[in-house]
Amino acid sequence: MSKIRRLLALVAIAGLAIPVVAEAQQPRSGGELVFPVPSEPPSYDGHREETFGLIHPIAPFYNTLLRVDPTDPGGTKPAASLAESWTVSPDGKSYTFKLRTGVKFHDGSEMTSKDVKASYDKIIFPPAGVGSSRKGQYVDVEAVEAPDATTVRFRLKFASGSFLASLLSPYNFIYKADILAKDINWYEKNIMGTGPFTFVEHVKGSHVVGRKFAGYWDKGKPYLDGFRAIFMRDSAAQVAAVRSERAHIQFRGFTPKDRDNLKAALGDKITVQESPWDCILMVGFNHNKKPFDDKRVRRALTLALDRYEGSKALSQIAIVKTVAGVQVPGTPFATPPEELAKLAGYWPDIEKSRAEARRLLKEAGVPEGFSFVFTNRGTPMPYEPLAVWMIDSWRKIGLNVTQNVVESAGYYGVIRKGDQQMHMDFQCGYIVEPDLDIYKFLSVERNPANYGFYKDPVLDELYDKQSRSTNPEERKKIVRQFEKRLLDEEAHYLMTLQWHRIIPHSSKLHGWQVTPSHYLNNTLDTVWLSQ
Amino acid sequence: MALYILKRLLAIVPTLLGVAVLIFLLLRVVPGDVVEARYMGQGGQFQSQELMQIERAKLGLDKPLWQQFTAWMWGIVRLDFGLSMWTGSPITDEIKLRFALSLQLAIMASTIATCLAIPLGILAAIKQDSWVDYAVRVFSISGLAMPSFWLGILMILVMLIFFKWLPPMVFTPLWVNPWDNLAQLIWPALAVGYRYCAVGTRMMRSAMLEVLREDYIRTARAKGLWLKLIVSRHALKNAILPVLTVISLEFAFLLGGLVVTEQVFNLNGLGMLFVESISRRDYTLTQALVLLVATTFLIVNFVVDIAYAWIDPRIRYR
Repeated sequence: MSKIRRLLALVAIAGLAIPVVAEAQQPRSGGELVFPVPSEPPSYDGHREETFGLIHPIAPFYNTLLRVDPTDPGGTKPAASLAESWTVSPDGKSYTFKLRTGVKFHDGSEMTSKDVKASYDKIIFPPAGVGSSRKGQYVDVEAVEAPDATTVRFRLKFASGSFLASLLSPYNFIYKADILAKDINWYEKNIMGTGPFTFVEHVKGSHVVGRKFAGYWDKGKPYLDGFRAIFMRDSAAQVAAVRSERAHIQFRGFTPKDRDNLKAALGDKITVQESPWDCILMVGFNHNKKPFDDKRVRRALTLALDRYEGSKALSQIAIVKTVAGVQVPGTPFATPPEELAKLAGYWPDIEKSRAEARRLLKEAGVPEGFSFVFTNRGTPMPYEPLAVWMIDSWRKIGLNVTQNVVESAGYYGVIRKGDQQMHMDFQCGYIVEPDLDIYKFLSVERNPANYGFYKDPVLDELYDKQSRSTNPEERKKIVRQFEKRLLDEEAHYLMTLQWHRIIPHSSKLHGWQVTPSHYLNNTLDTVWLSQ
Repeated sequence: MALYILKRLLAIVPTLLGVAVLIFLLLRVVPGDVVEARYMGQGGQFQSQELMQIERAKLGLDKPLWQQFTAWMWGIVRLDFGLSMWTGSPITDEIKLRFALSLQLAIMASTIATCLAIPLGILAAIKQDSWVDYAVRVFSISGLAMPSFWLGILMILVMLIFFKWLPPMVFTPLWVNPWDNLAQLIWPALAVGYRYCAVGTRMMRSAMLEVLREDYIRTARAKGLWLKLIVSRHALKNAILPVLTVISLEFAFLLGGLVVTEQVFNLNGLGMLFVESISRRDYTLTQALVLLVATTFLIVNFVVDIAYAWIDPRIRYR
């Protein structure tokens, strides 16, 4: 009897709970989303800029051709946006996109394939004197065509494994062709897109305000009445804004300490979402400076690092966590941990690793107590804790390292000169995609931002092979070969730890999913507030 | 007096020219430029040299230094400070926006500081070595020892933890909504004004003590004049001169120097703009801001010199 009663009670509770859950998950319209942005856009032109300071406040005014599925925590799955479907030709050299109909710009005019073509022509084939930050990403594109008002076709020079992913860039806003034809720089100082919000105001140094676009093509969206992006440089002020419930979220990320403090102060009022972050600090060895031209020395330096213990300790105090190779852990092309553990510097047995490091140094003729200078960027988080950890690790194999901290804005000016022995380098991606993430490591004549100044035709060839491979499994294998050569056999660079993105946000905020990229999921069309 | 004023005014021109040359050269000596700060600081994957050359050409950074300097000077002569290299907006617009906030904050902090410093300093001097003097000394030394940004952080924490309240996050001009405006600016004004007041109080006390020991004050006392009258008519006029210098220089400093306090309270003021323009290597904006601050200091100095000459006629006869 008691069992039946218990069962009935459970059914009753479930019956009560289901409508509550359903109600809580039902998006609610209304409210203004308030969020601090730690950086401010220099201009409004997404095709020109490279900062999240543009994406966070400006992306809600625009749509892109495709987008990353806003519910995908991996941040790699393509989803429809202005294009509702697409097909790829059998030879992989032609991508045809069918556009939605009834999409309006904020000025009331209809969006057609002419606008998409004009926008992509500006990105891929900018006229002389016009800067396009992502032109280099589309070297495979031969032409962009608009055969009719609702069709856009990209003709490629060769089949590409990354082309579709390159269209997921959150920077590739679709602009109005007529405006671009009159003044190609118009969008640097003006905002007018097809996005879920219309532009209200930007008070420089203070805030950007957006209001719901009533004519938005995705009926019922956006849920919010508007948003207010407030520029706040100081992280303490950002935390205080969330803690005082004046702001709902900060989309870039907070430190572990900030997360713990917010959770302690606000309890259930705060929800925390975390993800590996598609940003990583790595150490570049200047191949023009002795003894770093010797791969045994470079291998020794990576072998000295206990990444697994480092991860445990540093993730308590810094925005780093996962042990990683050249791809964000957990994403489609990432090397699984058991395979990664075979690479130099990733061995689980640190004593064995450091003994090998000492042997290599001895073999290369590097004396005990050898001194060198490590050039680091004057940005405290996470450059400082990572540098302290590495310097301490290198001391354990008998090296004596001095850190030279260079002011942040002038940093690349200094290391480009090539006077440094070793330096901290940085990469942050707007989507997780091998073409983007490993381009950095190509030979210096192909990539001038290679501050190791090395030439490695084998790496270059592997890069091209993986880029042109349309078979994901084959591509994975090539990426692994690339990774092994880069980090183990040649040790041109050494990876520190993958950044870790921590987003504590108001529990009132729903419909937003953290991804490895702080450039994604900022269109805000799916976001809603429960109160 | 007119000749004195003219001389002081003429001295401003070569000083400003010196500042202009110095800041122009110093900025070019520092590694990096605005294009690098824009495209290389973000860790982007495709850093194209072609793009950087296009951007440099757009900003005129590919021209020889002398041409850049002449163009800038010619603009200044026409009161045209050019465009910010970072945002492309007119520099006057960039500065105008922040100037209102910084000026209001400077005025509020100076008012708080002056209204407290002068009476407290006088009181401490008159009541030397009494409990009143000790209390004022503790108050002023605490103000000197406590950085204003730290006091600001304490204020924010107290408001947040005990009152679950924070000042508004966005600046509202006084004429739009006085309540919101004061709710945001009173706290930084108090934090900054306290330190400023501490300096003024110490200065006022020591200057007043010195003057109160003068023979003419002793004579006035011997004649049986009221202390209140002695202080206000005879002592204050002479003791106020060094205090005036300190107050005016602090005021000029407040216009562009409140970087950390502005960060703590998230104020969109000139101090933050200054730091951002330097870190972005926005040459044109930094140059304009340096000139603005230098001009403010020179004007304040000029006004103080005139006030000195007015308060103490001996100065203008030298």
